[in-house]
Parts: sequence; C-alpha cells; structure tokens
Amino acid sequence: MENLPWFLLLIPIASAAIIQLGLKKSAALSSALSTISVLATFIIAVLLLGKDFASSFNWIEAGTLRLNIGFKLDQLATCMMIVVTGIGLLVHIFSLGYMRDDPAKARYFGCLSLFMFSMTGIVLSSNFVMMFIFWELVGLSSYLLIGHWYQKDTAADAAKKAFLVNRIGDFGFMIGILMLWAITGTVVFEAMNGASLDTAGTYLAGTAILLVFCGAVGKSAQLPLHVWLPDAMEGPTPVSALIHAATMVAAGVYMMARTFFSLGITAENMGILGNAPDVIAWVGGITSLVAALMATQQNDIKKILAYSTLSQLGYMVMAVGLIAPEAGMFHLFTHAWFKALLFLGSGAVIYACHHEQDIWKMGGLLKKMPITAITFLIGTLSLTAVPFTSGFYSKENILIAAKDSPLLYIAIGVAALTTFYMFRLFFIAFLGKARDSGSEDAREAPVVMWVPLALLAVAVIASPFFSQFFPTNGHVEVHAVPHFGDKLVLMSLGAFATGFVFAFLLYFGKDKEPISIPLFRNKFYLDIIYQRLVTVFQDAIAALVHFFDEFIIGGLLVGGAARSAQGVGNIFRRFAQNGSLSSYAYLMGLGAVLVIYFTVFAK
Amino acid sequence: MLFAFILIPLLAAVAIFAGAPARKTALSAALVNSLGAGYAASTWNCSCWNTGFQVLENPDIQLSLGLTGIGTVMLILSVIVTLAAVYSGKCPEGREKIWFASTMMIAAGAIGAFLSTDVFFYYAFHELALIPTFLMIGILGSGNRKEAAWKITIYLALGSIVLLAGLILAMNQMPSWSFTDLTAAPKHQNEIALLLIIGFGTLVSLFPFHSWAAAAYASAPAPVAMLHAGVLKKFGLYGLLVIGMKVAPEGMAHWLPWICVLLLGNIIWVGLVTLNQKRLDLMLGNSSVMHMGYIFLAVAALAANENNSIAEPAAILLMFAHGISIALLFSLASVIERKTSTMEITQLGGLAKTAPALAFLFGLAGMASIGLPGLANFAGEVMVFFAGFADWKDASGQIDMGWVQWTTIIALWGVVISAVYMLRAFRRVFQGPLVKSTETVTDISICDKIPTYLLAATLLLVGFYPQIILQFINIK
Amino acid sequence: MPFDSLPTPTLNEYLMISGLLFAIGLAGVIIRRNIIVIFMCLEMMLAAASLTLVAFSRFHTVDGLPDYDGQMLVFFVITVAAAEVAVGLAIIVSLYRARQTIQTDELTSLRG
Repeated sequence: MENLPWFLLLIPIASAAIIQLGLKKSAALSSALSTISVLATFIIAVLLLGKDFASSFNWIEAGTLRLNIGFKLDQLATCMMIVVTGIGLLVHIFSLGYMRDDPAKARYFGCLSLFMFSMTGIVLSSNFVMMFIFWELVGLSSYLLIGHWYQKDTAADAAKKAFLVNRIGDFGFMIGILMLWAITGTVVFEAMNGASLDTAGTYLAGTAILLVFCGAVGKSAQLPLHVWLPDAMEGPTPVSALIHAATMVAAGVYMMARTFFSLGITAENMGILGNAPDVIAWVGGITSLVAALMATQQNDIKKILAYSTLSQLGYMVMAVGLIAPEAGMFHLFTHAWFKALLFLGSGAVIYACHHEQDIWKMGGLLKKMPITAITFLIGTLSLTAVPFTSGFYSKENILIAAKDSPLLYIAIGVAALTTFYMFRLFFIAFLGKARDSGSEDAREAPVVMWVPLALLAVAVIASPFFSQFFPTNGHVEVHAVPHFGDKLVLMSLGAFATGFVFAFLLYFGKDKEPISIPLFRNKFYLDIIYQRLVTVFQDAIAALVHFFDEFIIGGLLVGGAARSAQGVGNIFRRFAQNGSLSSYAYLMGLGAVLVIYFTVFAK
Repeated sequence: MLFAFILIPLLAAVAIFAGAPARKTALSAALVNSLGAGYAASTWNCSCWNTGFQVLENPDIQLSLGLTGIGTVMLILSVIVTLAAVYSGKCPEGREKIWFASTMMIAAGAIGAFLSTDVFFYYAFHELALIPTFLMIGILGSGNRKEAAWKITIYLALGSIVLLAGLILAMNQMPSWSFTDLTAAPKHQNEIALLLIIGFGTLVSLFPFHSWAAAAYASAPAPVAMLHAGVLKKFGLYGLLVIGMKVAPEGMAHWLPWICVLLLGNIIWVGLVTLNQKRLDLMLGNSSVMHMGYIFLAVAALAANENNSIAEPAAILLMFAHGISIALLFSLASVIERKTSTMEITQLGGLAKTAPALAFLFGLAGMASIGLPGLANFAGEVMVFFAGFADWKDASGQIDMGWVQWTTIIALWGVVISAVYMLRAFRRVFQGPLVKSTETVTDISICDKIPTYLLAATLLLVGFYPQIILQFINIK
Repeated sequence: MPFDSLPTPTLNEYLMISGLLFAIGLAGVIIRRNIIVIFMCLEMMLAAASLTLVAFSRFHTVDGLPDYDGQMLVFFVITVAAAEVAVGLAIIVSLYRARQTIQTDELTSLRG
C-alpha cells in the first residue's frame, strides 16, 4: 500500500512508452491502453484518498547536493489527484469519440498518457526540483498536444508560443527555487521552514516568493504572460478541457498553495514576505478583470471559455495572494469540474456542427442536442455562481478572503462580467434558431461523448461536498454552507443579476452582435504589442549581435590580425626576397660578419 | 590493458590504410572499444588499471594511463560517440580509407587524452586527434570547406601554443608532469591561469575565441562534427577542471570576473547569434558554442570557491550530456541534408509528416539540448545552477550576492534563448505544410536508426537516472 | 739589397694579404653580374682561405716542424675546388643553354 503512489507515476509513463515504441500503428489498441491506464490511476487515487504516505529515492547526489524524486501524499495532493485522474478519465473517454477519425490517434493518446504522467508528478512531488521537472514535462505534453495538428501553421505557432511563454515564467521559477534553496537550505517541502525567511529579510524573501510566482504566472497564464492560453485553443478540444482548463493551468495555483503551506505562511506572519503577497493578489485580480473584459467580445466558443479560464485563474491567484490558498484550492477544485464540463460540452457542440467554432453560426442547439445543452447550462450556472452550485461556494470563500481589500470590488465586477459573457454564449449558441448549415444538421453527441458530460455534471453538483478533504490552516474555514443575508452573498447575487439582465437584454433572440468594442475584441492589443516587442527587442538585437559577431569579432579583430600578419609577410617578400643573387650574397656575407662578430668579439 | 583502448582504433586506422575493408574494420574497432569500456566501467574502482612507463627523466614525463572517475565518464562518452560516428554520415565513393581511418584516429586521440594521467601526453594525444580533424574538414567537408579548415587550424593551433606556454610555466614548478603530482603552483598563478583560460578556452570555443566552431562544424563531415563537438571539445574543460583548478586555484579566482563575463558572452551573445542563423547546421554549431557557457559556469563556481562540491560533478555530467546530444543533433542534421539536399531552414517544412521517426529523434535531441527534464542535459544544467548558488551564503550565514550568483541568474535567461531558436527551427523544419524539398522524403533508414537511437537512449537513461554517471565522480 | 736579406714576413702580414684577397673576392661576388666572373671571385676567396691555412701551418710549429695538417687541408681544398670548377662550369653551360644568359640580374626566378 505504501508503494501504491509509485504506480500513479509508472502506469501512465509505461502506457506512453509502449504507445510510442510499439503501438504507433494501432490506433485502437493505443487508445484502449491509454484509457485503461488512466482508469487504473483513478482507482488508485480514490484508494489513496485521505492517506498520508511519503517515499523517495536519490535522483542526484553530488557533494552537498541531494535531489530526490519522491512523493508526499497529504490532503492537498490526494484531492488534486482526484481532480487530475477523474477529469483525465472522462476526457479520455470523451476523446474516444471526439478523436475517432483522427489519423494520428495513437500519437494523441500517447501524448495524453505522457501528460497524465507529468501532471501526476507535479501533484505528488515532494520537493521543488521534482515539481520543476514535471512542471516542464507538462509544458512539453501541452506543446505536443496543442501542436497535434502540426501541419496547420496556426497550431504549430500556438504550440511554440505556449512553450516559449512558459519558459519565460520558468526562468523566474528556477531562480526562485535556487534562492529558496539558498535561504532555507533545502528544496524539500516538508523540511522547509518559514523561520529561515525571517533571517533572510523581507526583501530577499519577498523576491524569492515573487520569482517562484513567475512560474505560476507562466503556467497559470496570468498577466503579462497570459497570451499563450487563448492561442492554445488550437489544440483538440478535449485537450483544452483537460490541460488548458482543469489541470495544468491550475498547477500554478497548486504550486503556490504548496509553497505557502510548506513555508507556513499565514495571515499573521505574511509580513516576512514584504509586499510580495499584495503583488500576487493584484496580478490575479487584474488578470481576472482584463480577461473577463476580453471574453465579452469573443465569437469563438472556445476562446470565450479560454478567457473565462484566465479570469477564473486570476480569481484563484488572487486568493493565494490574499493568503487564503485553501480558498484558491477550493475554487480550483470546483472550477476544474465545471470548466472541464463546459469545454467538453463545447467540444460536443463543435463536433456536432462540423468543426464550426463561431457562436454566431450556431443557434437553437438546445432542441437538437438537449443533453449537451443541459449539462452545458449546469456548467454555466456553476461558473456564474448561482446559489447551491459548486461555483457559488468556492467563489464565496474567495470573496470572504477579499472582504477587507479593494480587490473585493474587482471580484464582484468580474462575477457580473462572467455572468454576462456566459449567458451571452448560452443565448446565442443554444437558443434562437440555427444560423448556418452546420448547426442545422447538428445532432446529439454519441454515447461515448455525452456520458462523460453527464458524469461531469453530477460531479459539478456534488463537488462542494468533498470540501472536508481540504487542508485548512485556520485563516479561512472552507465551508459549503451559504450565509444568506450576509453582505457578501447579497453582493454576489446582485452581480449575477446584473450580468444576467444585461446579457438577456442585449443578446436574447439576437442574430448578430449588437455592440462592438474593438479594445476588448482585440485583447487590449497586447498580442500585437508583444509581437512588436519580440520583433524589435529580440530579433533585431539578435541580428545586430550576429552582425557584430561576424564582422567585428570575426572580420575586424580576428581577420584583422590575420591580415596584418599577411601584410608584414608581404613587405618582407617584396623587399628581401627580390630574386637578385648578388643581394642574397650580400645578405649572406652580412650575416656571416654578424655571426662572427657576435661569437668572437661580443663578450 | 588501458593501452588497448588507444591501440585498437589506431591499429584499425593503420589496417584501413593498409587495405582492410574500411567500414567493417572501423565498426568492429568501435564495437570492441565500447564493450571494453563497458567492462572497465562496470568493474571500476578508482585506482586499478593504472599503467605506464618513463619517457623522459628531466623533465619527468611518463606515458602513463589511468582510469580516474572523470576519465571513466569521458571514456564512456568517447566510445559511445565513436560508435555512433562510425555509423553516421555518408562517405563519398572511393574515399572510405581516409574517412574511416581519420574517424578512428580522432577517436584514438580523444580516448588517449582522457586516459592520460600525465600532462604532456594529455596534451599530445589531443594534438594527435586534431590533425585528422583538419584533414577531414579540408578534404571531405562541404560548403566553404577550405576556409573553415584554415580557420579551425589557425585558431586551435594558436590556442594550443598559448596552452602549452601556460602548461610549461605551471609544470616547471611541479616535481613531475604526472597528474598525481599537481599542486598549487607557488609562483605566477595569475599568469598560468590566464594562459590556461585563453588556451583551453580557445579549444572549447570560449567567447570571443569562438568564431571557428560554427563554420567548422557546419562544413565538417558528420562523424568529425560529432566527434569534435561531442568529445574532443570537452578536452579543454576537462583540462581546466583537472589541471587548471589544481595548479592555479588562486589564479583562477583572480580572473573570476573575466571568466564570468566571457561565459555570459557564450550564453547570451552567441545565443543571440544562434537565434539569427538561417541554416540548420550553422545553428547547431552555434548552439554547441553557446552551451559551453553553462559548463564554464560550473568552472566559474569552482574558481570562486574551490571547495564547491557540486560544481565539478555538474560540469562533468553536463559535458557528458552535451556530448551525446550534440552528436545526435549533428548526426540527424546530416540525415536531413542527405534527404532534402538543403540546410536552409526556410526551404524546409512539414518533415514530421513524411519522416515521423526523424522528427521524433530530432525533437528529442532538440529538447535535450534546451534542457528538458527527463533528458540528460537538464540534470547537468540544474546541477550547474545549484552549484552557482551553493555559495550564496557566506560562512556566517549572511547572504552575499557575488559574481557567480549574478552570472547564474543572467545565464538562466539563456535557457529561454535556446528554447526560442530550437523550437523555431523545429517549427520551420518539421511542422507546417510540406514544401518541395520535403514532399518525397522517406523516413530515416535502419542504418541511420542504429546510431541515433543509441544516442537517444543514452540521453533518456542518464536523464532519468543521472546517478549512473555521477557515481563515478562521487567516489574519491 | 740582396734577396735573402729581406725580413721574413710575419703571420699578420700573411693574414692581411689573405683577408684582402677574401674581401676582393666577396666584393666581386656581390657586385659583378657575370656568373663566370662571380665564379672566379669565389675561387679567389677559396685561395684566400688556402693562404690562411698555409700561413697558420708555417707559423704553428710542433716540435720545431711546421704543422702539416694545414698544408694537407690545402691540398684537399685544391682538389675539391678543381672538382667544383668542373661541376660549376657545367652548371653554367647548361644554364646558358636554358636561359641564353649568364647575367645574374636576368636570373630572378627566385623572386618571392
């Protein structure tokens, strides 16, 4: 039993290896193997719920450095494992239908297994270095899966962008790990202790935490490194559900929660980090607001959900920055289920509409695919925090954490915007009448696709009641009991009502976009600005440096030395070696005289 | 016994010139050497196997070989890369003799250098390996081969002379030229360190003595590029670690700021140069120059504090990993060139469709070289970074941000740069729609698969369990 | 004045004469353009060297007798010079056949 968690790592990597090495030719066997492997890990994860095991082996041992690969099971990890394997299982099943006709099905399922391996590694990891290892590996699987249709230029570019933007975050993450290692003397979560932060001083401790947070900014797509996530929607939709909504992007929040728990940071002693928590909270808050604004003007069903994911991740990060990581984790937990549900629902819609993603070309889908539509509605209600849904409880906890901060108003505003854009999506895509041939012929998704949707819908409704598995450290009680009449609840309900009313007035029964806000539609022009920055700063400097390297170092300095040697040689050649025998004889005589002089006379 | 490792490839080279079937002889020699190295590594326990005889009384020079921990790692690296190199590349018709004999001679020289326990022969064996390198580039190279051959010859010859001056200055103060007698030189440490850094640095393409490398690798035949970039280039780093740090620790510490600046030149400056390359082979050559900076970072950490216990294993592991990964990349680049007959990145595209196994291998090698976990380079790089931060706290526990720490932080940005150029190249060459040069390409053949899968498996094995290499270094 | 009453020349005087001969020969080699003249000047330098050897032989006595080693060497020089003249003239003849000239300023194929 103690060694059972190792199988969580071994099963998926074995599956990925077997598919890559042996089963490339057989799509059916690969998909079966991959699905069975994730089913096995899900069962193991359920068995391990509430257990507390640890084990490790030496990965690197050199001098004073010991880096381990090991796992540390606690409430945080087991709970996250349920999310990862549970949603992973449903996504695998859904993919059996969604990717049925894909020519590279074997590669797809191999990469999914690789992702399950990497994600499991992040969740189980007992130390920072192991987390960084799997952190990069989820990046790789994400890269491979976004670029699944690599022959499409947009997909290949999106995959590259995702990997590179994450690398920028990981640059900070690695420095943060190194600093924390130097400050606390260890990378193992259990052995870290917050007291050593005190001796390092608030300045260094805060810097270290912020650098670690850089990793989360990349992985969880916070401003200013958020640009890759919307582009990542180029990948197959089940991948978007699993990786880019439910699990991987939430890893940043998980990692920050892990860090804060290990360092024992609570609201009382957060002063040792200086302003770092405030910075984190504001990054989260601004991301959630900006992303929600961007979402209101998107037409691609997956893009809307992607910006919604950004916005919700901002919520979680905000909670972490407010030193309420358990609230953030609770929201992560509920969000994972309903966002996976929404993404898979959108996948079913896209599948039914012949890979049409523009919501203005859909319409009337409620009648044609009722199961999908109803489960989608459940997800929407949960995301918009309607009372008694899981999203309501988790968002409530974040609002409580923010209640003494100006961030509360951002949070409420974002809640209203969320309701607005989600119901905009629902009204346009599922109500009204079909606006295109694709949505005319739409039929209910096959069993293998709607069963996962139904199961997810059940999970969305049930998930708040798992809250007793959540770790708490006394600051915020994670609770599933709403306090009606409380000011915060009223504000939250007011936000929902505002958003719903506006969405209803503007979009109910409409066939085309009634308002146009280019700033939001064009994502605040951030992508274009980044593009320019990269072109100017990176490519131009690279070209300049290349020029200098080739012509100044290679041409002038090195080539100059070569040429001056050649020039001196030429002079000698011209003046001394003139072919006249008599001058040779003269020089020889002179030489002889000199030799005699130096050997005989010069004493 | 250890002489066999050098004699087998040398005799194979002689036999090939005498008329033995070139490819078969070279292959069997490489195979025998690999098996021998495997046996030596598995039974290795520090001090056995030492052998040698006196060559000169004054100065005291011996032709002595020994299997040190570091030497064992380098021996394994050499035999693996040699085996792969013999399989790699396409020999022009009728030139088999010089092709395979040179490969064998380079291998013999490299193995000889890493097995030597005497400074003189350490130097001499390296020169032995350089001669066939120049010849192969000049005679059988591609593109602008004459200029590349001249460039590498002049640079490396000059570097070797500077190095020899430094070595003589140092060794005159030692009782003998043997590695076992190396101690801190009583006089002229700064001068010795300077000469060694410039001399070894030129051989390792330390910025700004690097311009020979990319051009030479781009035009060298695949086995030569693999052996030189993978194995022979590590000679200089090995020398700095094994000789430089022993004879002039204070001198190295004296030049620490300069080492830091120059290694950042490698990582950032050459990294940016790499970013701007339009040809795949030049890009790979430059990337190999860039990655030398990380190994120099370990040297810098060691120079800052000679008791840094992480830096040396880190450098060795990264040398090993880089050797394998760059050899794999050069081998694959030669396959791509043979199949598409172009190296211009813009003229390639969509190769993953027509050659999926090639794409898989190149992706793996590229990911290894940009330091993806699970592959050997990551373990080395992460250790180097930890080595850089090992002395962050001084003895009293106060935090003291020094040269090495700042350098480590800036060097980490190189990880981003290398990801950019490698993924850009992969994106252009393997992804996107097919283009004219790649439409009719067939996938990698079984003959090319043998060396590439061998190297790829090594990368994975060491990446998953680096202790397999580190165990040789930990035992003192 | 009777012939035998002349003072015996000293070693220095012999060496002066020999040095003069050598210098005239060297000057000829350097200045003259015609190879045959250069050749003759070379012979003159050889003669100067022979004269030195004989002079040293005369003035360096062993047990009251001149040191005949020097005179032996002179015979060698004379024989070798004879052989050299033969070879040298042959070379000059073939050079003339090849290039139609024996003027050194027209023979400049050694120019770098």
